[in-house]
Amino acid sequence: MAKRSIVPFGPQHPVLPEPVHLDLVLEDETVVGAIPSIGYVHRGLEKLVEKRDFKQYVYIAERICGICSCGHGLGYCMAVENVMGIEVPDRAKYLRTIWIEMSRVHSHLLWLGLLADAMGFESLFMESWRLREKILDMFDETTGGRIIHSVNQVGGVQKDMDSTMLNDVLRAVEDLQKELKPVIDTFLQDYTVQSRLKGTGILKRDDAIAMGAVGPMLRASGEPYDVRMLGYAAYGDLSVEPVISTGCDSYARCEVRLKELLQSFDLIREAIGKIPEGPVSVPVKGNPSGEYFVRIEQPRGEAIYYIKGNGTKYLDRFRLRTPTTSNIPPMVEMLKGCQLADVPILILTIDPCVSCTER
Amino acid sequence: MEKTRLFTLAGRVLKNLFRKPATVGYPYEPARYPERMRGHVEIRIEDCITCGLCMRSCPSQAIQVDRKAGTWTISRFDCVQCGSCVNVCPKKCLTMASGYTAPGTARTSETYTKPQEEKTQPAQGGKPVVDKEKCVYCTLCAKKCPQEAITVDRKEKTWSLDAEKCVECGICGESCPKKAISL
Repeated sequence: MAKRSIVPFGPQHPVLPEPVHLDLVLEDETVVGAIPSIGYVHRGLEKLVEKRDFKQYVYIAERICGICSCGHGLGYCMAVENVMGIEVPDRAKYLRTIWIEMSRVHSHLLWLGLLADAMGFESLFMESWRLREKILDMFDETTGGRIIHSVNQVGGVQKDMDSTMLNDVLRAVEDLQKELKPVIDTFLQDYTVQSRLKGTGILKRDDAIAMGAVGPMLRASGEPYDVRMLGYAAYGDLSVEPVISTGCDSYARCEVRLKELLQSFDLIREAIGKIPEGPVSVPVKGNPSGEYFVRIEQPRGEAIYYIKGNGTKYLDRFRLRTPTTSNIPPMVEMLKGCQLADVPILILTIDPCVSCTER
Repeated sequence: MEKTRLFTLAGRVLKNLFRKPATVGYPYEPARYPERMRGHVEIRIEDCITCGLCMRSCPSQAIQVDRKAGTWTISRFDCVQCGSCVNVCPKKCLTMASGYTAPGTARTSETYTKPQEEKTQPAQGGKPVVDKEKCVYCTLCAKKCPQEAITVDRKEKTWSLDAEKCVECGICGESCPKKAISL
């Protein structure tokens, strides 16, 4: 047996802007084990729910993380609405769907850029982020914020999109899809990309299920599981099919996210085509009393929101389980047996979002 | 295969040589802001009734309202531009304007003071009082009240006010179809 040594990875590492720490157990250059530790950016946002009005907390829920912001606001609002028995108008449901699909596009483009950057493929990184700017501009125009949208509120959405705005979104989506074609081809066909991604970080389907992987991570192992199939917001009226790949490796995870981009474009187009007229919010009277569990599909996977109200304007408890939390055990499993040089890319393929995880 | 790759590559290189950069040369070129942009909060202080709803709704506690002194203070560095204050303002004197606040090296706050003559005007502030003769118990005032401070029972013909919740914004008086409420 070769001599074992422990190499620390993070919390500051060039591949991730966020702090996550791993103790890598190495035998020569091969990783035989990894011990993760988090807790560098804990802000106590769940506890803050006891100190802020439940309507006000939407703004805090949105600020748990920048990239998943839209989904966090939506998940929290859906939980409160279910406790209070509020029926959200149809138009608001469609608008929520359009915005969350746009945020999936921006999250996946961000991830693609980071992946290219981790491989040292700088031009691909810049191209991905240049295209991401287009979707951020659309957010700026429709919601007023590039990253933190602040559109969800208990009882509906704050802002409506008129027909010119919807057309602008459609046009941006068309342009983006056209310009994305060479990027997708490069990711899927370029031999530089393939040599870094193919065959690394194997996560078998059974392992993925047993370890509780979620989102693109699970779908890249061949399991067709997508929470959007539950039909929350307007997904019940739209045609959502889980995008899967059976490759089980890093390349498969990249492929799933690329195809999800195209799926999101289709969903945005379909939602804009079907969007009904009507109000975008209903007035909310009274305070929530009771508890509820909501599951939604964030760009990174399934997120769970739990709230417990006590009849006052302050909630008793808010709990959020983020996709990255569930993807850490499969990541540790996947790291076993890989080369030290592949570790940054493997960590990146779970699309870690540490600020969500630590809240 | 190799040949086509060479052509795409050469084409792209030429295109990128003569194309405008994807970025904007800010601050030499001005940034273009969309209409809805949440950049910073602006106040029309002459319309403000210092009710304090914005202060209570602010998630980052960036706003301080002093009723006695008639001042409205915002800490620009604490503000997270969520728009919560703008949504709750009963007088709609708060607005979200585009453009960010200037960067700085120290935490600064801006204080706006209400013009003095406003204070001496009659019928400004004070709790609402209902004229039982005129009131038809339509519940409009209760529906409009931003603080849910008014309770109206149509059957029992009662009108009651929770004085602690009331912020004296005067919306009930404005919404009353019979003009039965005076402040």
